Amino acid sequence: MSAEIEDLLKRYQNYPNVSGIIILDPFAIPIKTTMEYTLTVHYAALISTLTYKAAKMITNLDASNELVTIRLRTKVHEVIVLPSENYIIIVVQNPGT
Amino acid sequence: MNRILEKVIHQNGTIVDRILSEHTIGYVVSDNTANAVAETSFDNTSAQAILKHLHGLLVSTCQSVVRDIDPSNKLCFMRLGTRKFEYLVAPEEYFTITVVQ
Repeated sequence: MSAEIEDLLKRYQNYPNVSGIIILDPFAIPIKTTMEYTLTVHYAALISTLTYKAAKMITNLDASNELVTIRLRTKVHEVIVLPSENYIIIVVQNPGT
Repeated sequence: MNRILEKVIHQNGTIVDRILSEHTIGYVVSDNTANAVAETSFDNTSAQAILKHLHGLLVSTCQSVVRDIDPSNKLCFMRLGTRKFEYLVAPEEYFTITVVQ
């Protein structure tokens, strides 16, 4: 498990424009982070709630469908959420558009 | 309000055509104030479902999340990838636009 997380972290960290990566366990506890601690906890609480809500909503819309990824584009940056079975991966990047 | 929508669609005709010509299954445009479907290519049941779940619940949740993290920030665009299709949601001031592809 830990080696897998390290591989994920290294892979995503190499992309340009990535300013932060957080990996949560299924209980929304941060396992790994490249961001400041208070900001990590903030993101973890808010994004995990959003992820569970979105997953439930997708199931409501179509019972056989399943949430794979969420992208939130804001004025300042972009947040990409990748929920999977064992963790939730949050990547914060600054797209240069 | 629908007059504004027709004007916007007319002004951006090429963009609308490009969006609809790609692998698009359909779209829903909803009025934010009335919480009603302004324009859609789906049947009414599907449009209402997307309106209630996506525009009503999820867009407001995402806007709250973004605002909580940074009060000066603002949600501009949202992509929901699922196994079957992808929902592209653009919350604007008067309308919320969803394209399913």
